[in-house]
Amino acid sequence: MALSLTQDQITEVRASHPDAFPDRAQAIRRWVPWAIALAYLLWSLSFFEFGKLLESSDRVLRLLAAFVTWEDMATWNYGRIYAGILETLGMAFLGTLLGAVGSLFVGFLAARNVVRLAAPRHAVRRFLDIFRGIDQVVWALVFVRAVGLGPLAGVMAIFISDLGTLSKLFSEAIENVDKKEIEGIRATGAGPLKVICYGYLPQVAPVMLSQTLYFFESATRTATILGVVGAGGIGMIIIERFRATLYDQVAFVVLNVLIVVAIIDWLSGRLRSTLIGR
Amino acid sequence: MTDATAGGTKGGRKDPVTLFERHRAEMLRARRGTTILLGVLFVGFTLWSAWISNFTPQRLAEGLPRIFEYFQTITPALEWDKLFVGRDASGDAVPGSITFWYTDFWKYMELLGVTILMALTATMLGAGAAFLMCFPAARNLTPNYPVYWITRRFMEFCRGVPEILFALVFVFMVGIGPLAGVLAIAVHTAGALGKLFAEVNENASLKPVDGIAAVGGTWAERMLLGVFPQVAPNLISYGLLRFEINVRSSAIVGFVGAGGIGQELNRTISFYSDDRVLAVLILVVVTVTLIDLLSERVRERFIGTEST
Repeated sequence: MALSLTQDQITEVRASHPDAFPDRAQAIRRWVPWAIALAYLLWSLSFFEFGKLLESSDRVLRLLAAFVTWEDMATWNYGRIYAGILETLGMAFLGTLLGAVGSLFVGFLAARNVVRLAAPRHAVRRFLDIFRGIDQVVWALVFVRAVGLGPLAGVMAIFISDLGTLSKLFSEAIENVDKKEIEGIRATGAGPLKVICYGYLPQVAPVMLSQTLYFFESATRTATILGVVGAGGIGMIIIERFRATLYDQVAFVVLNVLIVVAIIDWLSGRLRSTLIGR
Repeated sequence: MTDATAGGTKGGRKDPVTLFERHRAEMLRARRGTTILLGVLFVGFTLWSAWISNFTPQRLAEGLPRIFEYFQTITPALEWDKLFVGRDASGDAVPGSITFWYTDFWKYMELLGVTILMALTATMLGAGAAFLMCFPAARNLTPNYPVYWITRRFMEFCRGVPEILFALVFVFMVGIGPLAGVLAIAVHTAGALGKLFAEVNENASLKPVDGIAAVGGTWAERMLLGVFPQVAPNLISYGLLRFEINVRSSAIVGFVGAGGIGQELNRTISFYSDDRVLAVLILVVVTVTLIDLLSERVRERFIGTEST
């Protein structure tokens, strides 16, 4: 057995594996997209005055230092901070709950196998598209204008955008149910309401529950942001203390929010496995 | 009738219905404690959260009509007969026409362009950072445990803090404008994509890595030549998906002064309550939807061509 390769063998292998050993034209063609991407990146970054980062360096340093050196911790208004976090949780909970209950009804209206007529179903779906298409923060801003500053605007914002997304997910779950069970219930002479209660709901309930829990988790994250535009909760406290240049407190609050969000994730995971048994 | 008497005479022990009912009652009794506890917790939490967010019937009765009023004020007063009338000789648009409603159309388009480019640049920067971090953050590829731990925690921090807070900080550092937004989104993207990339890496086959190690490749060579070709299609697909998300967020970070359409959206919503609000909103929704559709097509093509 020859331990060294001859030149012929190498050319043979090169020819039989064109993907691994591309000729020059192919190699260039392969690098073109990367080159374009890199050129775009450099071009777009050239617009930004990165000098600003250096110019403001002592301001930046002061900011970063304030994030990690916590002073006068006794004077921080802990009561308001934790009340704000609780308010955020309340907003997320109520918004998701209302969204889920609403989606329970709207989901059936948007499901192909429940509402046979195309026109009303499509009308409902287009409305859901709008609810989903506009970001939660924008909804919050709109509701702040409509109902005033405070958690109610946040609850409404979470409700509307959850209604948009959860209804779509619920209707998809409903469209995927096993038809035989529905037929069985219908064969006993049950009315439409009983068909939904005993035919559809037992099949889709686990999916709905677990999705609702996921949305509660994600709502606790976004509810933090909603406050930044004035929709109540911890976000309002963050932005208020940021504006008052109390950066150390901002860092403390954000750290607390991260911990609370992690706890909520863990709890909701536990609850999901208890309720659904997975 | 005969069935009923037969069931009665045989006694309760063997009758399937009685057995079933007894079993069901037992199961319900066993679960009653948990059910009651969960129920009470649920009701209590609902009441508490309704109380804390002022979700009272009277507040709702006050607020709901105002929501509808607000939507009426931001709806443009379009008139059918004038809908497509252009500008007149003096360059003024006619009230009731679309040109009047979208007076600032080109300004919005420019800002939307800025928003999309912000998202693109931020996605590229973030994906680049995520690419560098995803190898040390993959349990099976990391050079040693401390590096793994530090990268993981750093990425968790990056994706845990909301973009808008990073945007606040960067606006403070570099001033109002798109740069702050790009940096904020890039940091968040690095954290979010880094985790996804690392998970893809953890599922990669280690055989090519062993092969390159056997011929004396360094750690960097093992990653670049052994792992990267396996995971590239997935990384690109996740990157595109992230681009869609980032278009949405780059429209949002403008709310705190980080450039793009968000800044304009915040200004119109906060200072005017007329048809301009709806004009911007419609453009944002249409753009986001178009980007979603486009990126979905590109993603399908990429995965399709790379896997065959």
